[in-house]
Amino acid sequence: MSQEFNIQEVAKLALIKLNPDEVKKLSKDLEIILSHVEALSKLKIDDSEVTIHPLGIDLTLREDEVENGLNHDESMSNAPEKQDGFFKVPPSME
Amino acid sequence: MTDLNKITIKEAHEGLKNKSFSAHELANHSFQIAAESESVLHAHLILMQDEALKSAQDTDKRVLKGDMLGLLDGIPLSIKDNLNLKGNGTTCSSKILSNYISPYDATVVKKLRENGTIFVGKTNLDEFAMGSSTENSAYGPTSNPWDPDYVPGGSSGGSAAVVSVGSALGSLGSDTGGSIRQPASFCGVVGFKPTYGSVSRFGLIAFASSLDQVGPFARTAEDAKIIYQAISGHDPKDATSLNIERKDINEGSSARIGVVKELMGEGIADNVKVEIERVIKLLEAEGNNVTEVSLPMTKMAISIYYLIAPAECSANLARFDGVRFGLRSGGNTSYEMSENTRAEGFGDEVKRRILLGTYALSAGYYDAYYGQALKARSQVINEFSEVFKEVDYLISPSTPSTAFKFGEKTSNPLEMYMSDLCTIPANLAGIPAISIPTGVDDLGLPYSVQLMSPELTDISLLNFSSYVEKIVGFNNSPTKWRKKP
Amino acid sequence: MEEKTLKLIPTIGMETHIELKTDSKMFCSCRVEDSASPNVNLCPTCLGLPGALPVPNKRAIEMITLISVSLNCEITQKGMFHRKNYFYPDLPKNYQISQFDFPIGTGGSLQIIVDNQFSDIEIERVHMEEDTGKSVHAGGGRIDTAEYTLLDFNRSGIPLVEIVTKPVIKTAKQAVAYIEELRQLVIDVDISHAKLELGNLRFDANISVANENDNELGVKVEIKNMNSLKSLERAINHEINRQSKLLEKNERIIQETRHWDEKQEKTISMRTKEGSADYRYFSDPDIPNMNLSEEFIEEAVKGIPELPKARRERYIYLGLALDESNHIAKSKKWVRDLFEDVHIHRTNVRSAYLWTTGELLGQLRKMNVSSKPDHLNGKNFGELISLVDEDKISSSIGKEILAELIEKDLSPVEYATSNNLIQEIDEDYTIDLIVQVLDAQEEIIKRIRNGEDKLISFLVGETMKKATSSLNPALVRELIVKKIM
Repeated sequence: MSQEFNIQEVAKLALIKLNPDEVKKLSKDLEIILSHVEALSKLKIDDSEVTIHPLGIDLTLREDEVENGLNHDESMSNAPEKQDGFFKVPPSME
Repeated sequence: MTDLNKITIKEAHEGLKNKSFSAHELANHSFQIAAESESVLHAHLILMQDEALKSAQDTDKRVLKGDMLGLLDGIPLSIKDNLNLKGNGTTCSSKILSNYISPYDATVVKKLRENGTIFVGKTNLDEFAMGSSTENSAYGPTSNPWDPDYVPGGSSGGSAAVVSVGSALGSLGSDTGGSIRQPASFCGVVGFKPTYGSVSRFGLIAFASSLDQVGPFARTAEDAKIIYQAISGHDPKDATSLNIERKDINEGSSARIGVVKELMGEGIADNVKVEIERVIKLLEAEGNNVTEVSLPMTKMAISIYYLIAPAECSANLARFDGVRFGLRSGGNTSYEMSENTRAEGFGDEVKRRILLGTYALSAGYYDAYYGQALKARSQVINEFSEVFKEVDYLISPSTPSTAFKFGEKTSNPLEMYMSDLCTIPANLAGIPAISIPTGVDDLGLPYSVQLMSPELTDISLLNFSSYVEKIVGFNNSPTKWRKKP
Repeated sequence: MEEKTLKLIPTIGMETHIELKTDSKMFCSCRVEDSASPNVNLCPTCLGLPGALPVPNKRAIEMITLISVSLNCEITQKGMFHRKNYFYPDLPKNYQISQFDFPIGTGGSLQIIVDNQFSDIEIERVHMEEDTGKSVHAGGGRIDTAEYTLLDFNRSGIPLVEIVTKPVIKTAKQAVAYIEELRQLVIDVDISHAKLELGNLRFDANISVANENDNELGVKVEIKNMNSLKSLERAINHEINRQSKLLEKNERIIQETRHWDEKQEKTISMRTKEGSADYRYFSDPDIPNMNLSEEFIEEAVKGIPELPKARRERYIYLGLALDESNHIAKSKKWVRDLFEDVHIHRTNVRSAYLWTTGELLGQLRKMNVSSKPDHLNGKNFGELISLVDEDKISSSIGKEILAELIEKDLSPVEYATSNNLIQEIDEDYTIDLIVQVLDAQEEIIKRIRNGEDKLISFLVGETMKKATSSLNPALVRELIVKKIM
């Protein structure tokens, strides 16, 4: 499985642009790590119920009540670019 | 006159109450130590002197009225820079958040404010809490006060170092795979990771959601308990936070102790093994029953962790895209802009983990990697449950070795990951775990011991730790940081 | 080249997103509101700020349970939320919290009527998710020539229910009927405003075309951006046509997403990459598993109103034809209630239907009124309709009285009586009058006998003038003709 590892494809999914040096180094790094976890992937484990929360608690739902959050200025306070109360970004395709 | 250099939180509270000194003096002392140590240690990213001294004045007013807010009123604490403090920068030691100002308080910060805590500053960490040495900080590493050529551990290296030298009487860190306990061990202080869910994560910048917990650094287990009690509790803003009664178990000499076989063998330095055995002998002399226990899944712990944590972090860090906050790079389209922002803003280790996590979740690989890791994690949880039927506490090293030198483990990522060998299992199981300093090695670097207990037994564990502290009698302080030019 | 005789059958599946009318958002307590000002209903969670956490809305889960039960779905009691990972600027976390393999509702169906034929559209799943923010592409005229994009996150985090049908719809008309029916259901159970123009209810269509005898379905193409039922119908028909033409030429259909362009009246390819995206779904570690109890489900569906299908069947049982029943079943609640109330007051069911949906609504429309006049009810309206049905007043008099009744409360019987509008149906009295008139109109009678039928109306009019009370003009005509011929 590690042989098929194509870091450029993964980087595209993760939306990180890699330079050629990084492509080489990170490919190598990840292959080292993946070969270490290979032993785990081959282990035969019981298909028991998997819980996401380590203590296995159930969800408590929240009552449908409105509370004040951030005001407009607070929300916009870290915006790299804004216009007329909107966040502004370079054009995004659909 | 109380020696403010060696004072605990408990003693400081008594001192304030009895008016032996003022909160203003106490805070000033912290900033004085900071002034003396920061050029060597680089433990704080920012110091909040003005705000702190103002808060100290408020405490002093309350002291006069006999109206103190509790044990933490007027106590100077530092906060790891991955916790949101409203109106202040929160960088996660990353370039991508270099200009980010928090518009809200983390719940734990809010609770500390309500207790009258003085904030000394925000401390340095491995970028986004990913690392075991604080060498991954985009703003430069933190040095170990016991020997500045050595790392303080990570990711909460800054938070450990400040308590070690006394520029804060305690601090908050976060622990995902050992990020509190390991630096506590390297810096000779107490570091406590609570039961998963007992402390709110709201406002903690997420690394791995099912593993992260906020916890205290302090000089003593009792101090750690004081901080824990102030910051813990159910938070309606965190759906994973617990609303369950705590459990109490045996403490003191009647406690049954299990030594984890798999953490006393391969991969552990000889001198560390010797130290653990020394502590065990002391406990046996007090009357504690000590047996050997086995947790076979421990061997898989690093693999499990390094699939689950990166997978979760790959999604948690997706929000850093230059759109609504943080660094923004150039680009003709928003995708290009985000691609470049993340390339520029994230360091190597962060990129490594995001890519690893993305891969582990991607189509065709989920079952073999992430899916498998989740199943294995359930096994780890079961193993701990079984073992805790026989013993009350587990004992092991906190770290495979004492502190290592800068640059020693940066050539191979796997080598660095191995430093988490002893600490990861507790994060996987969600159980409470603590690191307590026990002595120093030939190089003058601290030894420590790790104690673990069943979920929800945090208070018992902290009390038991006080008992162990007394038996061990660790009383050393770092001095080498003062001698460095 | 030989023309292949292909019999191409289209297959359509509909995906509908419904905005719930909760007070607060799905994962935070921000207000759900169609605000004019951008970025005013925000908090760290729905803005995707670092450190924020999601907490699911109880009312939203109740509402999705309600709609699922209304669609006869099985309810998944042990459900969970998943992260759907993809990057887009209007998605603050760059993942959407959704449900993957344990959606709240599975199975079920919705009855539709097309061309007086019933069919049951099978539902695949009903699941809970959150809405994204809104993008406005500015600068150029079209999406691909925009200079920049503006983002408003007010809508981010609003609860969305996604309903997916099985690929069982066969025509555009069926698809439209399905959406209309679903919209009515959603309004009836009061979970959404369901206004298409406000985007409360949005739909995408999945369309494939295959040869009649093929075992498999054809390549699936997703069509987005249909903003009205008209564009839905047009888009589906266009796409079926486009795919059919390609297949006839033996060309390949690419699995992709296409946009419906209203102006150009065609579907346009949007994705540069074909095939499906890799969303890397995994259970959201910030949200523990849901465990919906029987009590919760019972509470959620308490007070579920009569659903359209049952109502339709009830009206048919009362005596309406299929299309009449369907028509009034879909009318506004006050119209249906009035119709039923009128019918109880012993009017003929068809009269009740025709007068309510025809004459009443027609008059109200002319007056620009869209709601029921407060005083109008089954008793007074029913009384009026009965007068007409029993031939006591003519239909046109009835319409005039209705106009009065709309203005103010009155008893139609009293009104008709006091205004001498009650038609005399005493034949003898009428014949007396007719004889009097005919005696004076010899010339006219001669001309009528010669074929000038139109003059009968003149005689009817003369008779009506002579009468002291209202006469039934049809009866008068009948008797005159009898007398003359």
